[in-house]
Amino acid sequence: MVDIPDSRGTSTSSILTADKRTKKRNAAEKRFRFYGLAAICIGLSALVMLLASILYQGIPAFTQTKVTLEVPLSADVLDPEGNRDPEDIAKVITFGYAGLIEEAVENAIEEYGIEIEGLDDPAAIVSKQASAQVRNWVLKNPEAVGGTQQFSFYTTSRIDQYYKGKVTMASAELDSQISIEQIQLAEALEEAGALERGFNWDFIFAPDASDQRPEAAGLGVAIIGSAYMMLIVLCLALPIGVAASIYLEEFAPTNRLTDIIEVNISNLAAVPSIVFGILGLAIFINFAGLPQSAPIVGGLVLTLMTLPTIIISTRAALKSVPPSIRDAALGVGASKMQSVFHHVLPLAGPGILTGTIIGLAQALGETAPLLLIGMVAFVTEYPDAPPDGFFDPATALPVQVFNWTQRADPAFAERASGAIIVLLVFLAIMNITAILLRRRFERRW
Amino acid sequence: MKDTRHEQRDTTMNDVKISASGVQVYYGDNHAIKDVDVEIKDKTVTAFIGPSGCGKSTFLRCLNRMNDTIDVARIEGDIRIDGEDIYDPNVDPVQLRAKVGMVFQKPNPFPKSIYDNVAYGPKIHGLARNKAELDEIVEKSLRRAAIWNEVKDRLQAAGTGLSGGQQQRLCIARAVATNPEVLLMDEPCSALDPIATSQVEELIDELRTNYSVVIVTHSMQQAARVSQKTAFFHLGNLVEYGDTDQIFTNPRDKRTESYITGRIG
Repeated sequence: MVDIPDSRGTSTSSILTADKRTKKRNAAEKRFRFYGLAAICIGLSALVMLLASILYQGIPAFTQTKVTLEVPLSADVLDPEGNRDPEDIAKVITFGYAGLIEEAVENAIEEYGIEIEGLDDPAAIVSKQASAQVRNWVLKNPEAVGGTQQFSFYTTSRIDQYYKGKVTMASAELDSQISIEQIQLAEALEEAGALERGFNWDFIFAPDASDQRPEAAGLGVAIIGSAYMMLIVLCLALPIGVAASIYLEEFAPTNRLTDIIEVNISNLAAVPSIVFGILGLAIFINFAGLPQSAPIVGGLVLTLMTLPTIIISTRAALKSVPPSIRDAALGVGASKMQSVFHHVLPLAGPGILTGTIIGLAQALGETAPLLLIGMVAFVTEYPDAPPDGFFDPATALPVQVFNWTQRADPAFAERASGAIIVLLVFLAIMNITAILLRRRFERRW
Repeated sequence: MKDTRHEQRDTTMNDVKISASGVQVYYGDNHAIKDVDVEIKDKTVTAFIGPSGCGKSTFLRCLNRMNDTIDVARIEGDIRIDGEDIYDPNVDPVQLRAKVGMVFQKPNPFPKSIYDNVAYGPKIHGLARNKAELDEIVEKSLRRAAIWNEVKDRLQAAGTGLSGGQQQRLCIARAVATNPEVLLMDEPCSALDPIATSQVEELIDELRTNYSVVIVTHSMQQAARVSQKTAFFHLGNLVEYGDTDQIFTNPRDKRTESYITGRIG
């Protein structure tokens, strides 16, 4: 017998007191748990800060201050010929309506008995969008010329920002676009019940607006553009990606060529997205001659970008189907294709759907390649219904965010955050759908 | 060693169903099966025994060309079923597998209903012209696999929800539903408890009246209980092939004797 030295130092060790090694081990474990917890806390607090800042800045974008005015539609201005011919009325350009708005504001001041000393250009509290709004209405209802009509106009962004607490009397004094008297006028109108702040559906449904009237800018075109592109990506990337994965996973022989293809698909997933943008610009626009800023080009570029994601996740889903199922199918005399389409594919379905939705969500948030193919354009007209609409100019949600952050007026900063909230809501809906689908169709064997 | 439950039947008169001669199997550079000659008789249970990695499963999978699905596997030699070369270029493995059914080591029912599990084979081979015929095939197959009474009230329940022994019998029902002539079983009881094992063994003995059954097994007792013919594989060679009684009581080869007495394997 060899005398083995006791590693614990004492020959009579009790399990009631931890020895040195055990203590050290326990301490290490405790430290590791603490590090993990700290890492999670840092991650969570970053997420909370991000969400809080976006929500704080973006929520006000969903409300807007509006003023209700009685506009005299005087026939002298709108229909100089006096024959109520819609064509003649259409000859009066938007600028011609500016006088009517001024008159409407002055009438309101008189009606509510508002007296403000030194009030200059009271109509400046109404958005420049107002003239266009009245003109559009008159063109649709030419018979109303000569009477008066009640309209609800946006106030200018400065007045709107005053109610959101971002413009103060002090800042207004230095601001060339707003005066203290005009703010006082807005407050007087509010007291009289003609001015109020409410939810602004136009932020979601209206098209973009120019630098002079941020209060009118909306996400409508961007949402339609993004939806069109997602439709194109879904229709192209899903069948191509799934077909490619099934072939590679189930049918392709394992040789050097398929190895090279596999490596390159993984590499493709890591290519910076802007490279896909340059590719799209070179091939789809310069070579194939497709229109710029069109959802079709954006959709094609995003398809190329999403394909590797879908292929990789589909292959993983196919791989996770146990080989015993394939054996079982082949064993009863199913052909390779029958075993794939009757048994393997249905079992891999939820995984494929999840991968596809995550790929789509990635594509929805992609900005860089779209900048290169001209989707950063200023588009104020809705694209048509598909398929023609795929070729009409449009923007996309993330590009609209990028676009608005570059505009000078501070009101656009608020709208950019609001647009991010809309984008996040869409992404959240897609991810939740993916999780629900996975839960719903998950099978165990 | 012989279990007397099963009545001993004379098999010497039965015809040869499968004949293999000079079969070589390579997995890449690995020579897995070396020059195997064997004649498997109709309406007989033939057991392949041998230590792990001796090639008995590999050889079994040659008999219905399941090795085709493995890219690196290469098969040489001649395997004939009823005199027809199954590796002839004109043979469609799909048709062959309908004729040579297979039951796997781990019960692997499709994650579908019990009914669909059994009906799948007849459906893809067009064995039933209408629903009534299909129902009949399903019932007949489940009866043959001795599981009908347990599942007849829940044919639409999931096949994966059955117990292990029931799942394996369901897989046997699925295999016999396509009306095969040969039934290959790759260690069908290795994942089952003793009660389920005895149920499946009884079933194998009954199946012998209709099919030629080839069973790979790790358990020598099982081979002795269910088979009439036994083949002993060792390191890719077919060491000895003969009547089960003779192999277990009076082996001719020293290696067979060592394996049976527990000295190797």
